[in-house]
Amino acid sequence: MALTERGARNPDLPVSAATADDALVEAIVVPNVLWRPEDPAAYGGGALEDDPRLEMRHYDESGEGRRDDARWGGLDIVPTKADYVLDLIRMNSLWPLLSGLACCAIEMMSTATSRHDIDRWGMFPFRASPRQADVLIVAGTLTTKMAEPLVRLWAEMPEPKWCVAMGDCTCSGGRYKRSYSTVQGIDRVLPVDVYVPGCPPRPEGLIYGMMKLQQLVKERRGHWPERAIGPTVPDQV
Amino acid sequence: MDRAFRALIERTFGDDLTGPVRQRHDETEMRIRPGDVPQVMRTLHDDPRLRFEYLGDLAGVDTGTDFQVVYHLWSVVTPDWLRVVADGIPRDQPRIPSITFLWKGAEWMEREAYDMFGLVFEGNRDLRRIYLPDEFVSFPLRKDFHLPDDASRSPGGGVRPMEDAATPADAAETTVRRTAKAR
Amino acid sequence: MTTPTRPSLDDPSLTIPVEHAGIFEPIPLARTERQREFYDLRDGEMLLNMGPQHPSTHGVLRVVLKISGEQVVDLDPVLGYLHRGVEKIAENSDFHHIISQLDPLEYVASLFCEWSPVMSFEKLLDVQVPRRAEYIRVLTGELNRIASHMLFLGWYALDLGGITPILWSFAERDEIVEMLAAITGAKLLFNYFRIGGVNGDLNHEFMSRLGDWMSRAGAQLEAGMGLLNENEIFVRRARGLGVLDRETALRMCATGPNLRASGVPFDIRRAHPYSVYPELEFEIPTRREGDSLARYLLRMDEVRQSLRIIDQCLHQMPDGPVMARLPRLLRPRPGRAYSAVEGPRGQYSCYAISDGTDQPFRLRIHDPSFLHLQLVGLLMPGNLIADTMAIMASLDPVMGGVDK
Repeated sequence: MALTERGARNPDLPVSAATADDALVEAIVVPNVLWRPEDPAAYGGGALEDDPRLEMRHYDESGEGRRDDARWGGLDIVPTKADYVLDLIRMNSLWPLLSGLACCAIEMMSTATSRHDIDRWGMFPFRASPRQADVLIVAGTLTTKMAEPLVRLWAEMPEPKWCVAMGDCTCSGGRYKRSYSTVQGIDRVLPVDVYVPGCPPRPEGLIYGMMKLQQLVKERRGHWPERAIGPTVPDQV
Repeated sequence: MDRAFRALIERTFGDDLTGPVRQRHDETEMRIRPGDVPQVMRTLHDDPRLRFEYLGDLAGVDTGTDFQVVYHLWSVVTPDWLRVVADGIPRDQPRIPSITFLWKGAEWMEREAYDMFGLVFEGNRDLRRIYLPDEFVSFPLRKDFHLPDDASRSPGGGVRPMEDAATPADAAETTVRRTAKAR
Repeated sequence: MTTPTRPSLDDPSLTIPVEHAGIFEPIPLARTERQREFYDLRDGEMLLNMGPQHPSTHGVLRVVLKISGEQVVDLDPVLGYLHRGVEKIAENSDFHHIISQLDPLEYVASLFCEWSPVMSFEKLLDVQVPRRAEYIRVLTGELNRIASHMLFLGWYALDLGGITPILWSFAERDEIVEMLAAITGAKLLFNYFRIGGVNGDLNHEFMSRLGDWMSRAGAQLEAGMGLLNENEIFVRRARGLGVLDRETALRMCATGPNLRASGVPFDIRRAHPYSVYPELEFEIPTRREGDSLARYLLRMDEVRQSLRIIDQCLHQMPDGPVMARLPRLLRPRPGRAYSAVEGPRGQYSCYAISDGTDQPFRLRIHDPSFLHLQLVGLLMPGNLIADTMAIMASLDPVMGGVDK
């Protein structure tokens, strides 16, 4: 069964094994079956599965992040008005974590200050502690040395949480594609909700990305159960 | 280009120089043996006619056959930058005395040269890796460490550090491609 | 009935063995003398880890503090969380391409990151840069210096707890970079300098924005500085803190405002002039106290001098081409070239070796913030934890350049 209409029309797209049954959750994320490396020995030949530094891989399978403890509706199937209000609340006060790594951090700070003010959407408090943050805007190049601390920060953030990849370096490795010490896109280690390309993206671009995230939050697409680590190509963005 | 300064260097150091003093644009370059580095630096720093109290840069270089350490110094005495090249550090025994006794700020620059090339600075009290994680074993700026064409083909897959990236199949036999001597 | 005793937290059998802790090693293996000295904890001392994610470390810097109560006894900065391997990438790129790759090193002052490599390549190629291009380089460079120093002001205040100055600084900085975006096309990583000149001439939008800004810049910048100059809390926290004396500054290879605030009037624009600085009239502010307040006031003096330079550039701007004629494929003669510029943080230099091919054989970038972080280890001990940020912010490090 194809996940999307486009998938139904295109016989060449590989079909995912898991199909979503509940009508509420229309998986707009195609799980990472579209791309495999050509070389079976690549990515350590699967050795990454056992790497203790990549603890997030088992987090998704455990299903811990899928429960929404704040929901007021009784059943998980039928959304109520209260859930709608809950989504509005979350969407309008997304508090980012201060995780500016490199140059994109300057543009993120520029977005937060007077000229392009994201306080208009409730995002001014950049929390220093991951325990109080909702969204992790990874702004700047992620190096392999920093990957462990960043994944720990992500793990320390309480649910619901979202991740925004800001800048080319976090989307795909960017200008450091050939480097020996950068992670080629943070979706190799974290599940990403919104990608904001640019080097660095203009503040208007980041604001567009954050508004997209707000839209995802409101439509409950940002906290999807199918969220997984790996390159994902959403169908309707 | 300060001709008088060149004569001063040749007079002061004479035998320690392993090559002619070269001048180009606003730089004067002198070459010494790695073992002579401490006394040459001390003379440059303390001698009242030279007074090179400002260390601009400490760099490691891999010439393909052996290593060099290059120091750039500035003094009120001359308008030129002085470049001191400690040449001929063998690849199998990359040791050179440290100048942290003169400039404590050189400690981290020497750590960086160790991290990138594997040059061991004898006398540096804190010679450990500074940029790369401690479990990295290769020295990236050496000429036999190749950057892979595609991150996914490396052992780390772009997540773990790219250690010992395999030499690509189309790499030349010699590590360094030269059309003319870089010396 | 005896109540079961709760296990004591000091019980050594309850500590996590290192092999289970995995990547998290509280005390790493001490490999060097200095590490052994640092990790040797005396009575009452403890280790506190700051970073790599911390609101005040100007980027990803991890500092392991050894504290005794509230006082810092020693510290061990751990770098490398932003090491991107730029020097290796440079060896695999050609001379034109590498200029854009070197922008993100000191990302707040990226024109200076381009200036010194471009000067090195011009020395290798014996290229004469047209005078108009030199004037444009100085003009845009000084604008970038003002933007960088205003950011320094904002960050310094933010680290000490003041939120208003950073909003004002970013408003200032945004105006300047919109100006620069009108000619360079980018707000942060400009990619504007080319070997032999600059990428485009001044255009109408840039000149109108610049003229508009210059007419109120003086008063605006003074107002921004006045937020902190006259603020008693700021002055009392910064005065006398982290005193760096002249001899130590030279031994630690400090450059730029940190060196000049300690009494050494060394500015590469006057000591080893490059570009058209010999034709411009400006002073080198120097202070003798060497404390954090002196470093802050010195940078504000430099902002005033930069305004003077920009004014002179506008008046003396010659006509002519903005780019020397060069072939696309550049193959310099084998040789070596070193050039240094005075960036907002200090001496930013580049040592380029060419072997006759179109790719540099070695490109070595020397960044000032790298050495200033060594100063942190010297100035912090003896102060309270809260003052560590005051010192670090006054040295103005940018981690992109530190980690390359």
